Amino acid sequence: MLLGGPPRRSPRSGTSPKGPQSSTGHVHFGKSPQTWPRRTRPRSPGLAAPSGVRGSTQPKRRDFPRRAWLTALSRYGARLWMGRRPSLPEARGPAPRSAAASRASRSLASPETSPSPLPATTRGAVAGGGSVQGRAGAQKEVFPGQGAGKMAAPMELFCWSGGWGLPSVDLDSLAVLTYARFTGAPLKVHKISNPWRSPSGTLPALRTSHGEVISVPHKIITHLRKEKYNADYDLSARQGADTLAFMSLLEEKLLPVLVHTFWIDTKNYVEVTRKWYAEAMPFPLNFFLPGRMQRQYMERLQLLSGEHRPEDEEELEKELYREARECLTLLSQSLGTQKFFFGDAPASLDAFVFSYLALLLQAKLPNGKLQAHLRGLHNLCAYCTHILSLYFPWDGAEVPPPRHTPAGPETEEEPYGRRNQILSVLAGLAAMVGYALLSGIVSIQRATPARAPSTRALGMAEEDEEE
Amino acid sequence: MLYCISTGEQILLSDNAASLAVQAFLQMCNLPIKVVCRANAEYMSPSGKVPFIHVGNQVVSELGPIVQFVKAKGHSLSDGLDEVQKAEMKAYMELVNNMLLTAELYLQWCDEATVGEITHARYGSPYPWPLNHILAYQKQWEIKRKMKAIGWGKKTLDQVLEDVDQCCQALSQRLGTQPYFFNKQPTELDALVFGHLYTILTTQLTNDELSEKVKNYSNLLAFCRRIEQHYFEDRGKDRLS
Repeated sequence: MLLGGPPRRSPRSGTSPKGPQSSTGHVHFGKSPQTWPRRTRPRSPGLAAPSGVRGSTQPKRRDFPRRAWLTALSRYGARLWMGRRPSLPEARGPAPRSAAASRASRSLASPETSPSPLPATTRGAVAGGGSVQGRAGAQKEVFPGQGAGKMAAPMELFCWSGGWGLPSVDLDSLAVLTYARFTGAPLKVHKISNPWRSPSGTLPALRTSHGEVISVPHKIITHLRKEKYNADYDLSARQGADTLAFMSLLEEKLLPVLVHTFWIDTKNYVEVTRKWYAEAMPFPLNFFLPGRMQRQYMERLQLLSGEHRPEDEEELEKELYREARECLTLLSQSLGTQKFFFGDAPASLDAFVFSYLALLLQAKLPNGKLQAHLRGLHNLCAYCTHILSLYFPWDGAEVPPPRHTPAGPETEEEPYGRRNQILSVLAGLAAMVGYALLSGIVSIQRATPARAPSTRALGMAEEDEEE
Repeated sequence: MLYCISTGEQILLSDNAASLAVQAFLQMCNLPIKVVCRANAEYMSPSGKVPFIHVGNQVVSELGPIVQFVKAKGHSLSDGLDEVQKAEMKAYMELVNNMLLTAELYLQWCDEATVGEITHARYGSPYPWPLNHILAYQKQWEIKRKMKAIGWGKKTLDQVLEDVDQCCQALSQRLGTQPYFFNKQPTELDALVFGHLYTILTTQLTNDELSEKVKNYSNLLAFCRRIEQHYFEDRGKDRLS
């Protein structure tokens, strides 16, 4: 079924004019690989619909849970299938290169033809292949029948779940996810909101096929590269050098400001970041984890920027923001009019830049000076939306149309709320019964009921007498 | 007037690199400078970092602000670059700062052998007995915290060296066969790279692996030599120890 997926796409190309967003029917399957904790569903409390979402008016949305389950399985399968592409050792050289070219052309084609997600339920398979198909399309003739030997123990990626129209709200998780999408690595993605559930205690974390756990994002990407999912394969040496340089630039200039914007700036933190994390995390954690994360980030920022006296803090902030704006402008100039930083195929640098920019663009920040500046740089905005729509069509459509929005938080709240209701009722009952027993209003002893209802006492006395 | 920590006895690798970079930059701009060495230069500087320049009644520290300051005064080395090149230049400067400088710091403060033999002794040399140990430990603790914050805390020496190697490779590829990074004219990137590479090459440490890594790239070596000859020979400075 999965292998038959790609060829079957073409006939249905006309069915959806909406392009990639039409896969919104599978909006949630992006998250379905996770287990029962529904609360990890993305918060889409009506925040700005990202440009990736356009008229996701799929009536199928209603039965998404069932489909989600189906699509989850099939998506996993699609990933398996997809993943075989790079795992061919001998085809490694020529295949990725042709893949890159055809990938680009395919991905260009996919918005127009992207039929896959649409209608039928089993299309869920292809949906998962949705944009993945865009990349894999070219390879189908290369290895349709390849064995899945490598997929014995697939790699699992644990990352923060999505929100604000993005597949993940955390910088590192987003970068790793994007890179995985670019290269089509067969990852089983667990989107969770509880960092304690990840194997290493922090997110993102990758559990490799050998069982070891890696949590540093760079190391995760290096590992993926080693497993031959390398997005930088086509880069020249000079471009590789440029990659390193630009990544350092990002880390030095943009990262502190991003951290500041999301975690330290009070208004943003309270209204956006903390709210999201508190809602996303399961019960006891949401009280203290966001605060702890904030403290960690603050400490990191302070260490990075050196000691500064309190009265200089304003200055420091201004300085930081100025440098960040400069950095954004530089990025914009480097990108120019190209599709990706190094031509037509995405590389690891694109993954990182995208994660930074997307977070900045999509989150609805009350205090968004940097955001405003970024919005003014049109080629960067276009770049972000392009990647979002190409590689995360269903996730990008997570911020659903208004119709779904009220349903969203409610359905999320419900299991939560209902469970709480039940618990509280039980607790109340238990308390009442316990009190009654203890104080003797109701007694189950037959022997000398202290203040048993008279009728009962009589009844029992009579019984005793009768016996 | 350029202030830096006294060479010979006290100065450390990373500070030396920074000072040299600034000196090179100012030389490239053809600005006359007088280098003054003070033991407490670190505390004199407004941001806690050396080197810093004292011009008129303004004090500016660190290469970045110094470059801007000099630009404001009308001298600039990077005017001839177009936007894309300027972006690249900034990116590469950050790369050097990020990797080379951090590696130098790591080597100096987190590698036990070097710390014990060289760093502690040098850092505390101008101060009397208890103070030199205290200050050295304090600085070490601070640097270690910083390393942890940026994720280098867990790195082993080999990983650090590998990073340095990658960085040098990137620089080497970018340089290619050109005389300077942006063809004919030197820019602040050249000054920065020169500063770091030269000090790495010429400083004696307990293990020479760092300089070995740099020596692998012949075009970088030639680059350093070229700048040294061009800009420092006529001055006959012996500060470039």
